[in-house]
Amino acid sequence: MFGPSNQLLNNLLFWVSRKKWLITTFFISISIFYLPTPEGLTAEGHRTLIIVVTALILIISESIPIPAVALLILIMEVVLGIDTPNGVASTFMSDAVFFIMGSLMLAVAIVHQGLDKHLALMIVRLTGNKTWKISFGFVGVSAIMSSFIGEHTVAAMMLPVALSLLKNSGISLDRSSKISTLLLFSIAYGCALGSIGTPSGGGRNAIMIGYLSEFGLANISYLDWMKYAYPMLLIEIPLAATILWYTFTPEKKIMDSAVRKLKVDVAKSGPLNSDQKLSIIVFTFVFIGWIFLSPKIGLGIVALSGVFLYLSFRLIEWNDIASRMNWGIVILFGSAISLGIQMKDTGAANWLAQSFLDFFQLFVTDMTVVSWFFSVVLCSVMTNLLSNAATVAVLGPIVLDLGVDPIIMGMATSVASAFAYLTIVASPTCMIIHSTGLVKSRDYFKAGWKLFIVSIVLLFLISFIYWPILS
Amino acid sequence: MKILIAISSKKHSSKTLDVGMRVAKAFSAKTTIVDVGDKINQFSVKEVGIAQERMESWDLDRPGVDVLEWAFDFLSKNNFIEKKEIDAGFPKNTLIERGGRRSEVFLKGTVCDDVSLILRNGEIIEELISEVQKQVYDVTIIGKSQNSKKDYELTQYIDSSIFIVNNYDASRDYKVLLVVDDSPGTKKAIKYSVRIAQAFNIGIEIITISKNDESQENYKFATEWAAKFLRRNNISFSSSFEMGNPIDIIPEKAGKSHIVIMGSSSRNPLKTFFRGNKSLNVLKKTQCPILIVK
Repeated sequence: MFGPSNQLLNNLLFWVSRKKWLITTFFISISIFYLPTPEGLTAEGHRTLIIVVTALILIISESIPIPAVALLILIMEVVLGIDTPNGVASTFMSDAVFFIMGSLMLAVAIVHQGLDKHLALMIVRLTGNKTWKISFGFVGVSAIMSSFIGEHTVAAMMLPVALSLLKNSGISLDRSSKISTLLLFSIAYGCALGSIGTPSGGGRNAIMIGYLSEFGLANISYLDWMKYAYPMLLIEIPLAATILWYTFTPEKKIMDSAVRKLKVDVAKSGPLNSDQKLSIIVFTFVFIGWIFLSPKIGLGIVALSGVFLYLSFRLIEWNDIASRMNWGIVILFGSAISLGIQMKDTGAANWLAQSFLDFFQLFVTDMTVVSWFFSVVLCSVMTNLLSNAATVAVLGPIVLDLGVDPIIMGMATSVASAFAYLTIVASPTCMIIHSTGLVKSRDYFKAGWKLFIVSIVLLFLISFIYWPILS
Repeated sequence: MKILIAISSKKHSSKTLDVGMRVAKAFSAKTTIVDVGDKINQFSVKEVGIAQERMESWDLDRPGVDVLEWAFDFLSKNNFIEKKEIDAGFPKNTLIERGGRRSEVFLKGTVCDDVSLILRNGEIIEELISEVQKQVYDVTIIGKSQNSKKDYELTQYIDSSIFIVNNYDASRDYKVLLVVDDSPGTKKAIKYSVRIAQAFNIGIEIITISKNDESQENYKFATEWAAKFLRRNNISFSSSFEMGNPIDIIPEKAGKSHIVIMGSSSRNPLKTFFRGNKSLNVLKKTQCPILIVK
């Protein structure tokens, strides 16, 4: 064993070996700070970009805890003189953050009700016992449900359904089993593509709505969003199911006994109890509130009202919410939105957008399609490396300044941030299926790249054929 | 004496567990068997936790429980735990998270003190180093990693002796290759080699390697001490002296049929950080099990 002084030194060196990216980020930030401010960029904009670079590297490398990155953003905004403490505080909290916080709380409350067994029964009644139908059903049900109640909530509820079916099928389950890969990816991709459907599908949708409204570009209601995004969701369901089936075609084409055993297991849990019924009623009210009340009182306040009802009816205890909530993510999203607003206010977003336009205008005259591709491809690549909401929060102000119809650019960026198919860390849903130990890292790319390309092509067609009709 | 055995699956860890329990038995050590599951990214920790809670409500095991269950079966089959524990079966329900991504079940041991089974999640090197720091183990036993950089890093930073079960084959006739020099870890290495030799019922070859003539006197003294100690413990041994670079000679001498036991280098951690040290460089080249004693 090490002596005390060697122990201390050894611990320090271990810390250094684990925090290479933190140290690198520090030096990169210092270097950018001492670079001369580029022409056309304000001093505040220059310093804002230092924070953007610092935050992005720290989030991707995960070299410090995510909440620490969030706090660092806020600290740097004040210390680097970008805004006053009160100014930073006011950009930190918004209806979008209320909405993300409320949605995460609602997610905990809904999962807590144990509705998954009834969900399982509904799925197998719908799909029967053919494996392809079950897979299709998983994609469809995950997509439709996640469009309203958020992707990871649905993934958490669907996961035991899939695992129970697999366990009952009598197949030895490991990472090489195609049937487990098929069903688990049906959930993950179903949830991901479903999250584009409504603003409540993902926090990033609310962030984009917030930006469009804050920057005075457009007011998009819950129903407006659905009109834009839902058709794409519905088209993607069969496409995703087909891609998954042909990528991971299992040997077992019928899951007869597994379905039968599942029905028996689920039947033991009995009909919906009063709390479960009340829980569904409360969520229905929340949904109606999002449609009819959100233009007046905001999406976030409606979500928080739902949480208030869940707590008031004792459908969940505060301690359950507090312990299961990812508070670090709420703080990060608040900080990321604050950073996005500073990018806009300091002109950093406009400078980045203009630099991009100046460069590409040397080669292309009509910048609409180029700008669209830049936004969508950059966003969909970044979403596979860091949080999709953080991606939208940082990229949003830039893409909205590219001079193309802000609704098309904003919607396209937000939808593209759902194309989190390629990596394990792309979204909590991908991580949830990975945590079962039944999928291989390379499987994400194996099926993901096909769905990624198909989604971009489909989004292109929808953006330039369907959305202009609505505008 | 406390021993930590790191396992990953039935497929990859059966030799590690076998060797680990033999060593634990030889030392009558309080033993902990740990499975470190995949790291969950920070954005998804709570969400994965909720999903796993739902799995448990369906009586579905979270990942890693099957690995611990397999370890329990191994312990039962070899009577390493008390009969009443075996009869009760794997106590899955007592696998409770006790903070810091760490769940644990306790079993009453027979040939050694208590046996604990632990499940952790995270980056393996960080998790093992944290486990050793908090629970203070004397020896950590791991299988050879596919990524040799991991073994190197773990050996460099972990604050316990480390036994890497590299290419172990139960049907092979092994001998301990005990490397004796004037490093501070040598005496402890000699003591450990006796227990290991007894655990595997094998003999010991003492080897002393000197790069130059200057250190020969100190090495001679250490070798004599080792010989005396082994003789007192009735261990059959032979000894040899070589001139040259230990980093080349030890792996060559050890081949695949030795268990190398050597003291950790006394080089300070800063120099080791930049240039490595003798034991780490030997580890890189060795093709057989190796115990580096700290």
